[in-house]
Amino acid sequence: MSTAAHYPLPRLRRALAARAAGWNRVGTQIQFHVKTLSSIRDVVIHYPVELVRLIAQMSLGTGALAMIGGTMVIVAFLTLSTGAIVAAQGYNQFSQVGVEALTGFASAYFNVRIVAPLTAEFALAATIGAGATAQIGAMRINEEIDALEVIGIRSIAYLATARVMAGIIVVIPFYCVSVLAAFFATRFGTTVVYGQSSGVYDHYFLTFLNRVDLIWSFAEVAAGGVVIMLIHTYYGYTASGGPAGVGEAVGRATRASLLASVLVILMITLAVYGQSGNFNLAG
Amino acid sequence: MRLEGGWAMAGETDATQQWRARSRLGEVLMAVTADTVKANAVKPVRAVGGFFAVALDTLVQSFNPPFAWREFILQSWFVARVSFVPTLVLSIPFTVLAVFLFNILLREFGAADFSGTGAALATVLQIGPVVTVLVVAGAGATAMCADLGARTIREELDALRVMGINPIQALVVPRVLAATLVALLLSSLVVLVGLTGGFIFSVFFQHVTPGAFVAGLTLLTGLGDVLICFTKATLFGLTAGLIACYMGITVGGGPAGVGNAVNETVVFSFMALFVINIIVTALGFRAGL
Repeated sequence: MSTAAHYPLPRLRRALAARAAGWNRVGTQIQFHVKTLSSIRDVVIHYPVELVRLIAQMSLGTGALAMIGGTMVIVAFLTLSTGAIVAAQGYNQFSQVGVEALTGFASAYFNVRIVAPLTAEFALAATIGAGATAQIGAMRINEEIDALEVIGIRSIAYLATARVMAGIIVVIPFYCVSVLAAFFATRFGTTVVYGQSSGVYDHYFLTFLNRVDLIWSFAEVAAGGVVIMLIHTYYGYTASGGPAGVGEAVGRATRASLLASVLVILMITLAVYGQSGNFNLAG
Repeated sequence: MRLEGGWAMAGETDATQQWRARSRLGEVLMAVTADTVKANAVKPVRAVGGFFAVALDTLVQSFNPPFAWREFILQSWFVARVSFVPTLVLSIPFTVLAVFLFNILLREFGAADFSGTGAALATVLQIGPVVTVLVVAGAGATAMCADLGARTIREELDALRVMGINPIQALVVPRVLAATLVALLLSSLVVLVGLTGGFIFSVFFQHVTPGAFVAGLTLLTGLGDVLICFTKATLFGLTAGLIACYMGITVGGGPAGVGNAVNETVVFSFMALFVINIIVTALGFRAGL
């Protein structure tokens, strides 16, 4: 640029401009999220069919993912394996101090408070989240989003808000499946693989299973689901740079949403359980 | 209803023709469905087979000189660059979450001094390797898959083959090895940062005695556990790299195809991660480490 020579301190200006661009990006991202959340009414009124289509698509998955049984199966599979890890780790560590009877307690405590919500959120981010970024990103690269705008469709409502809403709806069955899968895997691993009597396991499991914890754990996953879908739709909507750009957007979105989901769970855990811990061993 | 085409015989009533048309339609539909079912059933099997073929090729080619040193170093630097900050940022809330839940439990037992033991167990055995690979798969492998996928749909890989360069040797081997190496190196860093985060949280927010925390670190966690941690991280990195490269070099269908391939990379590498984790965890306990 020949005009740049007229301004003093070009290097400093460039550094400052890069800094400002970073701040502006935060601003545009927040603006996008606000727009997404404020067009919920538009989706309900104008695009209910798209919403239903997205719910069906998200629960079953697309492409090769649908072939192995859809998102539901992947969520169940991931939580089954983490539940099995709770069994292996819990049973072996507890038996080192001679209290392997408490594995049922580990299932009721760790599965509900940390393992099931975290795994469910990772599964959500990896499947429907990354899928949304890939779809919207590809539409952006093919200039389909501009086409939508030209024919008078509100693209943010149609693409982003509908996906966020569909995400909130499908998160309910996903959470139920993931908690049940985690409980089942831990019980199976402890009673069948390690040979603990199921009466002992069930006794400690049911004694320490706190129903209020389950509701909070669901709230964690629901809140995380909204944040994940917001992040993924934003990265998809702003993808640029050809086919490789779509892929990179998926990667960056996954990274950001993993971090955000862990932070959401941490914040809710700290806020809910706080100093008291909401836990009584002595009853 | 009269169908186009010459296969309706002369002198037939309308009803017969309709029946004929319907049965013909049924046959076609059945054939199409059978084909789709067959294709859908065969496709995942073929994909798994293709994945193992590429994995085997990569193994063979990594011992076949010349080794692509420049690409290896560039890719290692790239994976490290995109994964470094996110792993560290992710490891702190993870450990804090685990330590917080452990401390609630330990305080109830009156054993808050063993907070360090719980932190060490959780960080070394599970959080360290898992966080590392979540980020290596989420940040590094996806970018690799996107890069290779874009090259594949631009037919650059075919161009390499035409020039007599094996893309597996030139592109896949260095990427897979880079992901493996960086996962291994990052996992140790994640464990250190996680333990530091857990220490700060326990000592300054939950009032655990600092000396007791440090003394409790090595109570249940020993060299064997650290070795398991490194084994897990290495296997995770290797698998994530292989999956990313396989998905990348088998992309089809334009930008949407690349996006889907990256999405599948994330899903499959997470699934592989959890399976490897449970197997290595159980084997580690069986081996008595």
